[in-house]
Amino acid sequence: MIPLSYYLACSIALYTIGMYCLAIKRNMIRLVLGIEILINAAHLNFIAFSAHLNQGYIDPLGSSIVIMSIVFAGCVTAVALTIVTYAYKHYGTLDVRKLRRLKG
Amino acid sequence: MNALLIFMITTPVIGWLAHKRRYRKIRDLYAISGLSVTAYFLFELYVDVSAKGPLSSCYLPFEACLQIDMFGVFMAIVYVMIGLLAAVYSVRYMERDTGLAEYYTLLLGMIAGMMGVVFAGDFFTLFVFWELMSLTSYALVAFRKKRWAPIEAGFKYLIMSAAGGATILLAMSFLYGMTGTLNFANLGATLGSVVPNEWLYVTLTLVIVGFGVKAAIVPFHTWLPDAHPEAPAPISALLSGALVQTGAYALIRVLLVVFGSVQNAWQMTLMVFAILTMFIGNLMALLQDDIKRLLAFSTIAQMGYILFGFSIASPQGLTGSLFHIMNHAIIKGLLFLCAGAFVHQVGTRDLKKLEGIRRKMPLTSILLAIGAIAIAAIPPLNGFWSEWLIVLAGVEAGMLLFSALMIINVLLSVAYYLRLIYVIVLKEPTPISEKATEAPRSMLIPIVVLAALCIIIGLYPGPFIALAEAAAKAALSL
Repeated sequence: MIPLSYYLACSIALYTIGMYCLAIKRNMIRLVLGIEILINAAHLNFIAFSAHLNQGYIDPLGSSIVIMSIVFAGCVTAVALTIVTYAYKHYGTLDVRKLRRLKG
Repeated sequence: MNALLIFMITTPVIGWLAHKRRYRKIRDLYAISGLSVTAYFLFELYVDVSAKGPLSSCYLPFEACLQIDMFGVFMAIVYVMIGLLAAVYSVRYMERDTGLAEYYTLLLGMIAGMMGVVFAGDFFTLFVFWELMSLTSYALVAFRKKRWAPIEAGFKYLIMSAAGGATILLAMSFLYGMTGTLNFANLGATLGSVVPNEWLYVTLTLVIVGFGVKAAIVPFHTWLPDAHPEAPAPISALLSGALVQTGAYALIRVLLVVFGSVQNAWQMTLMVFAILTMFIGNLMALLQDDIKRLLAFSTIAQMGYILFGFSIASPQGLTGSLFHIMNHAIIKGLLFLCAGAFVHQVGTRDLKKLEGIRRKMPLTSILLAIGAIAIAAIPPLNGFWSEWLIVLAGVEAGMLLFSALMIINVLLSVAYYLRLIYVIVLKEPTPISEKATEAPRSMLIPIVVLAALCIIIGLYPGPFIALAEAAAKAALSL
């Protein structure tokens, strides 16, 4: 059996990749994918913990949370892609650097 | 809350029917009646909870459940009140927009999500409703999709807030890995006795970052000054008065319940962030020429006050903060709805073009001035009492330096609110503000109600402080 720490290292690496993607990438679709990577890092963590929490059986709580959470991730992506579509209509580009008209 | 969800799901159906029958006002009335029914149920719940103590459906450590205590009921009262007034206001404000059935659905969904967050008894239920609230608010910020600004603000808000949500999920997974449960009571019992290890600190950081994005703590605040001005005015009022406070609520509930064993660590961190938040909010607000942007930065500053009160973590500090949440919701609701009335009548948010608009919109301008005086903490109105309570709690807890910094911030906020009053009320009118006419009556009613609440709470703060105190005790006792 693969030790738990490998899974944790993997999920933290995924989280870092997701954050890197959000910070560096310029394409709006890639930003949305970055969000997905972040969420999946947490999912992997849940699944790894649910298998390792008790020896011998898999805790159903972790899996059920992940299934629910996948649905939310899908909803977030749907809303995000809708907004991306409208942004493309307004700006004619997917480059997020062009979306700098608001001062933030 | 059940009632709210039912109304949320049925609103599009009614909207469609109303569209078929060519009688469109039905869906507005339907949404408003949904909120009224919720308000009635909430009142019954309040009577129940204040008589019998917290209601709970949590029996097993691994099930999703609701736990309703005074803290939650207090927040829910604020949400439903602001939501109801915003819905009444929307009837005229949104009349020129299309897709109103969706609008009311999203509005009800957002309020249902917020109420679910404050009634949640375990972390996962909280997360489910948190996502409901977030998703609906993304769509509402970007609701006017024909213009570029709401889309840009909505995208920025979505990316930041979804990253925050993912961070919360990661923190949840660590908590789950440490304890095997997500129930708040069990989490508190298990983690209260363990020796703090590095994973607990990692989780603490993730929780503060994740909820901090919604609560607009300063390094993560940049979505707020874009999203608030670009959303329709009733939504700005709800975002500022309720949604941002939900972030603060979830943060403090999780910190108090789950991270009681490392209280010293988060208390100091949160306090430094709170002071930073106040300063950035107030200083940026001084520089703004756009009325809704000014109010948005002021919201960040007010979040600083609220977090400061929370970070004291004494009953007095929590009472002050909760009372301030209520007052801030009322005042910011009032200010954003007034600003919305200007936008609706004149079509501009630029303060330079709104100069002297009092001549043409006397009632709205005077009510805006009342709100500005109230939030600048000038004594006879409600903002003074809550800010005074927070400062007092800070002094009592021995945080003299931080309390002094907060007083400096309150004085800073007086400066820009006096400027706002000066520009709107006293200056000579410009050609644009000459053309204005007074806002329609159904938009004025919620504004007048909110202004009346400012004055009533200002003159008789006693019962409201008692309510906030009961909520603070419930928050600390879980």
